[in-house]
Amino acid sequence: MLTIFKNEWKAFLRNKIFLFFSIFFVLLLIITTYFGILQNNQQIINQKSAQDHIRNQWDEMGPYNAHSAAHFGTYAFKPNSILSSLDEGVNAVTGIVLRLEGHKQNDAAFSESSQSLFVSQFGKFKISLLFQFIIPLFLIFFSYNIYTSEITSGRLKLLIVQGNSFKKIIFSKILTLLSLAGILLLFSVLFQLLFNFNQIGVEELLRLSIFFLAYILYYSIIISFTVLISLLLKNNTSALSLTLICWFLWTIFFPKTIGSFTEDLTPQSSRFLLQSNMDEDREKGIDGHNPEDVRIKELEAKVLREYNVDSLSQLPINFSGILLQADEDYGNKVWDKHYGLLYSNLLKQKKHYQISGLINPFASLQNLSMASSGTDLIHHLDFLSKAELYRRKFIKTLNNEYTYGNFKIDGGNLSSSDFFKSIDDFNYNGLSIHKIIVKYTLDILFLISWTAILLLLINAKTKKYLINES
Amino acid sequence: MNLNIFKYELKHFYRNKAKFYSYIVFMFLSLYALINVYNIKEKQLDTINEIYNKQEQERLKVINWYENNQTGPDDKSWVNINDPFWAILYNPTYVIKEPSELYPLGIGQSEQYGFYKQTKRWSSTYDTDMAEEISNYERLINGSVDFSFLIIFLLPVLYIILTYNINTLEKDLYFHKLISVQCIKVKKWLISRLLFYLTLILVSINSLIITVGLTSGGFEIMGQILKLIFLSNIYIFSFSIIFYFINIKSKNSSSSSFKMISIWMIFCVIIPGSVHQYANYKYPGNFMTDFLDTNRKETYEVFKLDNIDLHNLLIELYPRLENLDNFKDQNLKAQAIRRSISAIINQMNIHAANEIEIQNENKNKLIKSSYIYNPVSFVQNLWNSYTETDYYAYKSYRFQVQKSITVRNELMLEEIWNSKVSDKKTYLKYIQTLKLDN
Repeated sequence: MLTIFKNEWKAFLRNKIFLFFSIFFVLLLIITTYFGILQNNQQIINQKSAQDHIRNQWDEMGPYNAHSAAHFGTYAFKPNSILSSLDEGVNAVTGIVLRLEGHKQNDAAFSESSQSLFVSQFGKFKISLLFQFIIPLFLIFFSYNIYTSEITSGRLKLLIVQGNSFKKIIFSKILTLLSLAGILLLFSVLFQLLFNFNQIGVEELLRLSIFFLAYILYYSIIISFTVLISLLLKNNTSALSLTLICWFLWTIFFPKTIGSFTEDLTPQSSRFLLQSNMDEDREKGIDGHNPEDVRIKELEAKVLREYNVDSLSQLPINFSGILLQADEDYGNKVWDKHYGLLYSNLLKQKKHYQISGLINPFASLQNLSMASSGTDLIHHLDFLSKAELYRRKFIKTLNNEYTYGNFKIDGGNLSSSDFFKSIDDFNYNGLSIHKIIVKYTLDILFLISWTAILLLLINAKTKKYLINES
Repeated sequence: MNLNIFKYELKHFYRNKAKFYSYIVFMFLSLYALINVYNIKEKQLDTINEIYNKQEQERLKVINWYENNQTGPDDKSWVNINDPFWAILYNPTYVIKEPSELYPLGIGQSEQYGFYKQTKRWSSTYDTDMAEEISNYERLINGSVDFSFLIIFLLPVLYIILTYNINTLEKDLYFHKLISVQCIKVKKWLISRLLFYLTLILVSINSLIITVGLTSGGFEIMGQILKLIFLSNIYIFSFSIIFYFINIKSKNSSSSSFKMISIWMIFCVIIPGSVHQYANYKYPGNFMTDFLDTNRKETYEVFKLDNIDLHNLLIELYPRLENLDNFKDQNLKAQAIRRSISAIINQMNIHAANEIEIQNENKNKLIKSSYIYNPVSFVQNLWNSYTETDYYAYKSYRFQVQKSITVRNELMLEEIWNSKVSDKKTYLKYIQTLKLDN
């Protein structure tokens, strides 16, 4: 088997088209990886500078009213991880700026794709585009006739006469093509390591390994599937047509249609309806800015009882702060209810989409590629949830100051700038891959099953061939 | 053109299962895409109706207050709708971007933007509620199956399946010389065969465009329909010319299919992807800190100004206000000035938003400059402009939003600075003033 493998490589290296495309891909890979990393690092710098800019404004605020500061608020800027250059995932379509302020939760706004004309249907020319769309197509072209070309050239009989089994020949050819794809993948991983050497840790290595393995499995599927079709149809034209049709279905048609179908399966309300329902629920709670709210009277009585005083003026604290926090707590419950449902529906849709890996291995690859690059829906929702948790802590700190006034200057309404400076900035720590990989079990299983089944089918088919031939 | 060759090709097409079913599948997909986007359009129209209903209910509530001599909601005694400030505040306005008649033919960039916005005096065109409709982000990156996608990206693939082995299958089977022997010029024979598929495709898609266009918007939009037909036909024709040369030059069907797919890959995936990557490198995702500064820091600085400064600023921004001298009561004057701050902020927001538009336009210029070697993006953007789903359609929608905010603020200034009193009649007038033709 090793000899055939070596011979295949020798033949490949003698093949001008193969050489041309190999060099072309390696160059493309270097350029893509380099520009991907450059652009990603630029975005990381921009994000950091935006974050610093906003923080400076906060620090320079000087003595200020704590509640006004809650309205002033802050911003969370969605960071790019160093591996985002591999697969951009949902980052291009999600908002990148999130305003964090008192009384209300905002949506992340200003998605990159809304900032210009349409450019590309299949995304930027990143590693993922190369590995998901282009390389599989060329693997198909290199593998669709590996069986028929051997027959027409008469080389197959020669190899069998030399004591090689048909099975060995076919598997050696599959392995040769897979090794070619593997080398390209390895190049890409190595470039990542090289260009981001200082920032690569165990987490990134783990992610790169998952990325590598997912693509290797997918390429095994592509090559095996093409070879199997070729073995079954024994006709170049039909084999190529059918494989290409399948490739289009997998990579272009199914992701779009099944994506739409999963949205129909778990429908979401419109943003307008969601907001209307939230407003309705919010009205049932305390309105921190409405002194005539009956629920405020109840809270007032409770606080007066707690402090054993008769009127608000006798309170050693600022009642408005308690009111605002109560308003905030209620608003948080409303948000949890509605956005909790929204997020859980999004995850349900994702799960349904993952099931499509049963008929479409590309879906599983896409999921694992985004997950390992930290650009999938789960990572995005994690960012939004952590930003919301930070907002709650941030507002609570300001409301507490507004209530108890530990940093108030001369008993006035203003709190010292030291207080504002003491509030930590939002620092997003991304998810660790080992925490979420379990959510991708289905994708891993589908890729492994597809590979195993196809290899078993090829095995069976090649055995049959020998019996027939003999 | 030889009619016999044309007829023979029809027979061949009908008998060739791979080609015939590919065509059928494509037509089925086209219908699916049209229905899919039609449903999206219907969903949008449902939401728009809900918005109009809510707006109507809220206005009716205020009209009832006037009729019942109420000054506002029971639990907000400080609200007085006889004061124009509150009357305008309680006059909700929504700016809607209604889907165009040709929307089913191209969803374009519409999924990246919101299509409705409630405009208030503090609103801006880059508020977070301008975000796109709720959708699964992972679905958004794959996009929807829409008709323009099928025409621009899949139709060339269908054309490849239908034509890749014309002249090359004959070479595969070594009887290509028979064609010349039969006294037929190979080029003429090839053109006739290719023309059959080109005609088939063009007739099919043109019928769909005409049917959908006329059903959706009638003869009034015939001009737009014809533009789409012209664009799609030129696009496919360009591909067919390239494929003709591949057919004539290729030595076998594998070679021709490989070349054709490579051409498709280069024009539809590699070039647009590279331009996208470069444009993003040159103009990275904008965190819009300038706008955020205006929206937050500078706004708060305006709040800190005293009334004299604010008064001067307002007169500078709105010179018409200068001749108004209705405020003998200093408290009322102070209140009017404080209530006018949103008009100052609005001017600042306009300026900040214009800066963003300029930055976006620079990126667009770069994208447009690539059209010479990136024709697919050009065709897609032109198509989107015909279906009013491109960046500029939404830019013009943002301008509508801005106009609504400005009209609201200016109306408020006009009424407050003239010490007007509002009643049902003026409230109805406000509705008309705040209504934009969108």
